[in-house]
Amino acid sequence: MASGNSLFAWTATANQPPASAYATPDTRNSHPVLDFDADTDESAIFGGVLPRHYGGGGITVMIAWMASSATTGDVVWNTAVERHDDDTTDLDADSFATANAATATTASGSGEVQYTEIAHTSGAQMDSLAAGESFRLKITRDANHASDTMAGDAELLRVEIRET
Amino acid sequence: MAEMTSLQRAACNAEFMRELSAIRSAIGGALTKAELRAAVDALDTFLNDNAAAINNAIPQPARGVLTTDQKARLLRAVIGARYLNGV
Repeated sequence: MASGNSLFAWTATANQPPASAYATPDTRNSHPVLDFDADTDESAIFGGVLPRHYGGGGITVMIAWMASSATTGDVVWNTAVERHDDDTTDLDADSFATANAATATTASGSGEVQYTEIAHTSGAQMDSLAAGESFRLKITRDANHASDTMAGDAELLRVEIRET
Repeated sequence: MAEMTSLQRAACNAEFMRELSAIRSAIGGALTKAELRAAVDALDTFLNDNAAAINNAIPQPARGVLTTDQKARLLRAVIGARYLNGV
């Protein structure tokens, strides 16, 4: 698979929420979104199988999001991969790899979509995920991070994974 | 009555941000979470400093009959009617 080609795209409705501290489902002009709180770290989880045509070049996660009310400020997004290794990973407990982070400035208008990208190199940053394996992607707003300055919710609209 | 604790002020700020988010009330200029928190702190201090004056503005018999909780709800009702659309 060539670098830059899309591997996955999810809408907000594909979320498989964690047991607690989950982003809240909502709609904005009939667009399904997930609301990430400004005060409490909240997460959304998406599952899939890494396509067979993935070439091993690492992945880049693109988050399409909006601000509920803010027109300035930054959001700290974290993404983490959990590989479901054959006859090894016990899904009774979470086993996400260490998250990668990006600090993203909100769009200048409430309701305008902002695109934020977080790259994961092949190997540990992808929990050593390989083509054809089941996995989960966890997206978290690190709301209590000092660099997360945006007032109000961040609304996740879409997620794309492409080969880096 | 003392000022709110830091945790109570933080919770107040968080709840206010959730309220704005829920109604998608756009903040028209540059304003961070920390700056919004400063506004919460300042208003709490103002209300604490002026609690007696606000109480004295309520005429009798209401001042003597209503509880602190009920007076707070009264103040909220008047502020909402004056400044909030749709209240």
